Amino acid sequence: MTLQERLDAFKASFESGAPPFNVPRSAIEIMHRATEELRQSGQAERALGVGARVPAFALPNQDGQIVSSADLLAGGPLVISFFRGHW
Amino acid sequence: MMELEALQAVLPEFRELGAALIAISPQRPSYGRAVCRRAALEFDVLSDEGLKVAQAFGLVFTLPSYLEELYRSFGKTLDKFHGESAYRLPLPARYVVDRQGQIHGADVNADYTVRPDPEETLAQLRGLSANSERPAART
Repeated sequence: MTLQERLDAFKASFESGAPPFNVPRSAIEIMHRATEELRQSGQAERALGVGARVPAFALPNQDGQIVSSADLLAGGPLVISFFRGHW
Repeated sequence: MMELEALQAVLPEFRELGAALIAISPQRPSYGRAVCRRAALEFDVLSDEGLKVAQAFGLVFTLPSYLEELYRSFGKTLDKFHGESAYRLPLPARYVVDRQGQIHGADVNADYTVRPDPEETLAQLRGLSANSERPAART
């Protein structure tokens, strides 16, 4: 299964209202509304895109050690994945 | 989590192309530690508490109050994870950056249930290697 197929399967299970999540339909509709509003805001299109320069950063990793974009880029190209948490 | 696991699966190919991989979330380092352990990740999960870096990428949004209420009713408290009281999150995004710091691939989506396949990211990295001197593979 591809990543998107796995995400779709999880979403279908989550939105089915069945166990283990038992999410009511009303809650699903609220989440859909929020996603739709965010889509219509156009923010995704305004975020940094192809051709822009990556902002410099230095952040702690999972062990509390500071990792900087300068150090990472000194070794070669870099893939950055921003994620919100559980998904 | 599913996306991080999918990225972990292609990490050897990223490294073969000389590229590094990191994930960034607004959560505390202890959360990153738990994620790394649970998903057996071999790349760093960076903690962007206060969302300053996500902000610099233009990714931060504030949850509408009705969604905040819903999450509260679920018992999901973002402030517990983030160490901040505002209900803010980053848009999910994946970037491919060349070693000069220029962005060559950007996938940002308002719908957090839609994510690009790691194969797309690999193709972008291969494009970088084709256009420049091939960097040494990382170990």
